[in-house]
Amino acid sequence: MDRLAYGLAALIGIAATAFGSYGMSGDVGTLRVAWLVPLGGLELTLDPLGGFFLALIGFAAVPASIYAMGSSPGERRDRFAYLVFVLSMCLVPLAANTMTFAITWELMSLASYFLVLHDRESKPSIYAGWVYAVMTHAGLACLLAGMLLLGAWTGSPRFEDWRAAAPALSGTARNAVFVLLGLGFAGKAGVIPLHVWLPLAHPAAPSHVSALMSGVMIKLGVYGLLRVSLDWLGAGPAWWGVAILVAGAASSLIGVLYALVDHDLKRLLAFHSIENIGIILLGVGSAVLYHGAGLPAAALLGLAAALYHTVNHAAFKALLFLGAGAVVHATGTRNMEELGGLIKRMPWTAACFLVGSAAIAALPPLNGFVSEWLTFVALFQNTHLAAVGLNIVFILGIASLALTGGLAMACFVKAFGITFLALPRSDAAARANEAPVPMRLAMLTLAASCVALGLGPTLVIPVLGAVAASVLGQAPPATVGDWLTLRVSGGYASLSTLAIAIALGAALLVPFVALPLVRAARRTRAYETWGCGRIIQTSRMEYTATAFANPFKRVFDFFYRPTKHLDIEFHPESRFFVERIEYENPARSIFHDWLYRPALDLLRVGARAAGALQSGSANLYLAYILAALLLMLVLA
Amino acid sequence: MTTASNLLAFLGLVVTLLIVWRQSWPARLRLFVAQSLLLAALAGTIGVLAHRRGLLLVAAVFVVVKGWVIPRVLARIGSGEPVRPVAPGRSSGLVLLGTGGLVVAAYVIMLPVTSAVELPTEGAIPLAFAMALIGLLLCVTGRDALGHILGFLVFENGIFGLAILATYGLPGIVEAGVFLDVLVIVLIMEAVVVEVRREHDSIDVDRLRELRG
Repeated sequence: MDRLAYGLAALIGIAATAFGSYGMSGDVGTLRVAWLVPLGGLELTLDPLGGFFLALIGFAAVPASIYAMGSSPGERRDRFAYLVFVLSMCLVPLAANTMTFAITWELMSLASYFLVLHDRESKPSIYAGWVYAVMTHAGLACLLAGMLLLGAWTGSPRFEDWRAAAPALSGTARNAVFVLLGLGFAGKAGVIPLHVWLPLAHPAAPSHVSALMSGVMIKLGVYGLLRVSLDWLGAGPAWWGVAILVAGAASSLIGVLYALVDHDLKRLLAFHSIENIGIILLGVGSAVLYHGAGLPAAALLGLAAALYHTVNHAAFKALLFLGAGAVVHATGTRNMEELGGLIKRMPWTAACFLVGSAAIAALPPLNGFVSEWLTFVALFQNTHLAAVGLNIVFILGIASLALTGGLAMACFVKAFGITFLALPRSDAAARANEAPVPMRLAMLTLAASCVALGLGPTLVIPVLGAVAASVLGQAPPATVGDWLTLRVSGGYASLSTLAIAIALGAALLVPFVALPLVRAARRTRAYETWGCGRIIQTSRMEYTATAFANPFKRVFDFFYRPTKHLDIEFHPESRFFVERIEYENPARSIFHDWLYRPALDLLRVGARAAGALQSGSANLYLAYILAALLLMLVLA
Repeated sequence: MTTASNLLAFLGLVVTLLIVWRQSWPARLRLFVAQSLLLAALAGTIGVLAHRRGLLLVAAVFVVVKGWVIPRVLARIGSGEPVRPVAPGRSSGLVLLGTGGLVVAAYVIMLPVTSAVELPTEGAIPLAFAMALIGLLLCVTGRDALGHILGFLVFENGIFGLAILATYGLPGIVEAGVFLDVLVIVLIMEAVVVEVRREHDSIDVDRLRELRG
C-alpha cells in the first residue's frame, strides 16, 4: 500500500514514454479545455520536441520509481509530492499556452521543493529548500515577465501564435524576451552563475528524486532554452547563440572544477549535472549560431548532438544518483572520506556505478562518448562560418569541452576509486550490505541503456535527427551511415562504437590467448602490498579524496582560493612523533563571495532603508492611505 | 433644491469641523449624531424635491442606524474611557489647518466632476467629499481606537452624502449592504476595543509601537 504511489509513478512513466515516442514520430495533437483555467484555458499540445522530452521523463521516471519501491517508503506527504512531481514534469513539455505552462511549471517546482525539504529537522535541508525556493521563484518571475510581454506584443498567450507573430517583432522586443526567458530557463537548468541551488538541493532530496531532478527536471530548462532560441522567436541575432555557447563553456568547465574538489558523493554528482548541462548547451549554442547563419546541416548536427547528450545524461546521471543512493542507504553517509572498499560488499552497485562513471567520463564505447564526440564534430563545423569573432567563440567552446572531458575523467577516477576500492575507511562502510532487488533492478536497467545508447547511435541518431529537423523546420537527414558506422556532416567524420567495442573486447582476450601461446608462467602469487616498511596495513594509509584533489587545487589555485587548516597533535614525549594530524583546505566559491554576497548585502541595505517606512505608528499608516488617495485623485 | 442641499451640506461640514475641534468624547459623539441627522435630512429633502420615494426610506434607516444604534454602541465603548483632559501642547490648531487644506483639495479634485455634471445639487458635492476626506484625517490624527472608529464613520457619512448628491441615491441593495457593513464593522470594533482594553488597560494607538518587530 505504501508503495502504491511509486507503482503509479512507474505506470505514468511508461505511459509518458509511449506517448512521447508517438509524438516524436511527427504526429501533432492538441487538447484544449478552455473553461478550466482563466487566461486562455488549459491547452496541451504534443509535438516532436515536446514528445522527445516527455519520453525522456518517462524513461527516467520508471527506474527511479522502481528504485523507490526498494528504498524506505518515506512519509505519505513525500509520496504524494513525488507523484505530483512526476505528473507535472510530464505536463510541462506539453503546455501550449502561458497559463498552462505557468501552472505545470510551478507545480513541478513546488513538488520538488517539498521533496528537497523531506528532512524537516536538518538545518542543511532547510537551507537548501530555502535557496531552491528563492532561485526557482526568481526564475519563474523572469519567465512570467517574458511570457506576458511576448503575449502582449503578439496579442496571444498561445505558443502557436508566437511562432507566427514573434519574428515580425522589433529587435529590441525580441532581445528583451530572449533575455528574460533565457534567464528563467537557465536558472532551472543550473547554468553558471545561476547554479547555486543545484549543489544544495540535489543532495538534500531522496536519491530517486535527485535522480529525477538531475536527470530530467533540469533538462526542462534546456527544453525551454530550445523553445526560446529556435522555436518561439524564430531565428535570432548571432549574440543569442554566442551567449548560449559561452554559458555552456563556462558551466561545463566550472561545474567539473567544483565537482573535482567535492567529497560529498551526491554533491559531486550535482556539480557534474552543471557540467553536463554545459555540454548540452555547447551543442544548442552551435545549433543556434548555424541556424542563424544559414547552415542547416550543421545546425541539425549541433541540435542532434545536444539532444543525444540530453538522453545520455539522463541515463547515466540517474544511474549514478541511484548508485550513490544505494551507497548512502547501505552506509548512512555521503562523505567519500568515510567510504571505501564497497566493491566487495556491494558488487552489483559497484558494477553499475562503474558503467555510469565510464559513461559520464566519455569513455568509448559508452553513450557519453558518442554524444560528446558528436558535440565536438558539431563545434568543428565552425570552419564554414566566415566570421573571426564567432570562430574564436567556437574555439573557446572546443577547448573547454576538451578540458572538461579530461577533468571529468579524473573526477570519476576519484569518485569510484575512493568510494568502492581499497579498504573501508569507516565501520559503516565495512558493514555495508548490497542494495535490495528493486534498487539493483533499476540500476541495471539504466546501466543497460547506457551501453545500448553507446552501441546503437546509428539507430538513435535518425530519430533525434527527425526531432531536431522538426524544430529547425527542415527535412530530416537522409542518411547517417550504415548499421555499423555513423557518418555525419557529409563524410566529415565517422564513428563506429560497435567496432571499438569489438576491438576492446578482443584486446581483453589477448592475454588469455597469447600467454598460453608463449607458455608463460600463469601461476597466481599472493603477496602483501608494500607498506613503506610498516607491518600492519590500515585504511589510514590510503590515499584520500582530499589528497587526490589537492594537485588540482594547486593548479587552479586562482579559482578555488583554498584556505588551509592544519591541526597537529604531537606525542607528549617527543615532537618527532605525531598522534594525530588533521588537514583540510576547503575551496571558497567565487560566485558566493563576489556575486551573491554583495547582491544580498545590497538587498539588505535597501530593505533597511525601506524599513524606515514601517514606524509601527498606526496614525502614520493611515496617513499613507490618505496621502495615496489624494495623490491618486489629484493626478487622475 | 440647490439652496437646501447647499445649506444642509454646509452645515454638515461645519459640524465635521467641530468634531475635529472638540476633544471630549461625549461632545464628539453628539456632534456625530448631529452630522448623521443633517445628512438624513439632506437625503429626505432630495427625496421629496426630486420625487424619489426610496430616498425617504434610506433617510429613515439612516436615522435609525447612524443616529441611534451606532451612537449607542459608541457610547457603550466609550463609557469605560475617562473624560480625557485636553493634553497640553496638543491643540487641534494644526489639524484644523490641515482640514482647511483638505476642503480646498476637495474643491480642486471635484472640479472636473462639477463642471461635467448638470445637477441642481452639484454645488454641494465638494462639501460632501471634503467631509469624507476630513473623516480620513480624523483617522490619521486619532490618538486612540475611539478616534479611529469615529473618523471611519465620518468618512463613511461623507461617502453617503456624496452618493446622495451625485446620483440621488444608490440602488437599494447597495445601500442596504453599506448599512449592514458599517453596523457589523462597528460591532466588531466594539468587541476588539473591549478586548484590547481588558488586556492592556489602554486603547492608546501609540502603545501599538511596542508590537513592532
